[in-house]
Amino acid sequence: MEQYNTVVWHWPIAVYLFLAGLSAGAIISAIVVKWMKGNDVSPWDGIIKAGAILAPVTIGAGLCLLIFDLTRPLMFWKLLIHYNFGSVMTIGVLALFAYMPVSILFLLGVFKKELAVDGPFKFLAPIADLALNYGKALEAITLVLAVGVGAYTGFLLSAMNSYPLLNTPVLPALFLASGVSAGISANLVVGLLFFTHSTKDANVSYLHGLDVKVIFAELFFIFILFVGMMYQGGATAHAGAAALGTGGLSTLLWVGVIGLGLLLPIGLNFALPHGVKHSHAFVIFNALIVLVGVLALRYYMLYAGQTFVG
Amino acid sequence: MVHDNNLCIGCQACNVACRSENKIPDSVYRLQVWVKQEEYPNGSLGYEYHRQSCVHCENTPCVSVCPTKASHVNEDGIVLVDNDLCVGCLYCVAACPYQARYVHPVTKAPDKCTFCHESRLSRGEEPACVTVCPTEALVFGDLLDPKSKINKVLSERVTYRQKERLGTKPKMYIVPNHKGGINS
Repeated sequence: MEQYNTVVWHWPIAVYLFLAGLSAGAIISAIVVKWMKGNDVSPWDGIIKAGAILAPVTIGAGLCLLIFDLTRPLMFWKLLIHYNFGSVMTIGVLALFAYMPVSILFLLGVFKKELAVDGPFKFLAPIADLALNYGKALEAITLVLAVGVGAYTGFLLSAMNSYPLLNTPVLPALFLASGVSAGISANLVVGLLFFTHSTKDANVSYLHGLDVKVIFAELFFIFILFVGMMYQGGATAHAGAAALGTGGLSTLLWVGVIGLGLLLPIGLNFALPHGVKHSHAFVIFNALIVLVGVLALRYYMLYAGQTFVG
Repeated sequence: MVHDNNLCIGCQACNVACRSENKIPDSVYRLQVWVKQEEYPNGSLGYEYHRQSCVHCENTPCVSVCPTKASHVNEDGIVLVDNDLCVGCLYCVAACPYQARYVHPVTKAPDKCTFCHESRLSRGEEPACVTVCPTEALVFGDLLDPKSKINKVLSERVTYRQKERLGTKPKMYIVPNHKGGINS
């Protein structure tokens, strides 16, 4: 009977978790690059432009998906006026409430010329100026909120003690790390494809190098997750073992998440000669496989988490 | 409520009474009795009867996660859903460790056992499942009243609660089968 199926949330939620992480990661890495010496003045680096566009667009798309996945989508506005501060979902709604405007402000500041000076949004020029004049403060606030958005999706799932694979304290850290990795990768792809002339090679190598370090962290978090389940014993250890070795989902974990998304980028980074490694084509290819890996991770965690209940 | 495994015969009269009292659509159930065959260490066979329904936790995972407070506990300790506040995120359905909730096919909001709160309880009657049970395997009453029938039963019979390790403190007590082990 369908009502006793433990899988309650389906693929749109996995895509939303991916997009929310990507959005947070994109703006975090754009701000990190912007704060580096020489990057904090216009004309902005392509990476910063990419992050400024990606952050509001991906979170916007993710939220639309989320609303249409509700069983009563026309009632979604009740989420905005009724709060339960003990619920991670309410905390997420409030974080997104603040995150949406600051990410749009960041976009306006970075694209002031295109949008508010030469573009169709001249009436927004004072707001763009505000975003530029208080840039540092705005970015600091955005950074904190982005970390909140990146981590809350992990808390959202880990708050449920009905699912042993999800009910683990390492999940928010894993989701934040993989979100940052996805954000870096998406910034690299968009920066190198659409803002080729303004994207500095130094920033590309910096972010690419940072991504490899984040990927090592993700591997370690996944290791901690399963070792932790084994040590808890009983039904939790059973669920962990099943999640590692049963059916198509475990194949997705080993091949998609760990093989393609984490080990291949690390392997290529160490195996390939310097010249190839720093070519734009390779960086874009590498970023795309990382993105596929992060989407696979979200899909795996959501479905395996709800499937293997011990 | 108390469900006595030794008195239950798995006849599903409670399930049917619940459906008829609460007009439950065909595809879903507020209450079922799951009958499981058991083999005891000496090789003899028996049955285990599991009441699959809301256990009305004191520490309610479904109410804690609900972002709009649509899921709530009323003054009598009964866990309910206010359809007017529900957006259908299904966080409560996922968070319930007892799989007690389903999406109502018409309202699209999660629905569940209410102990017949909206109908029979308000008329001073017991829930439909309790009234119809032919073996009196179900006992219902006020846990706060020391003189109530349920507190008498709880004082005289051995009981446990499902998944007690989760700290949910269900108000549904199970009298275990007197034979074999307990799978809580």
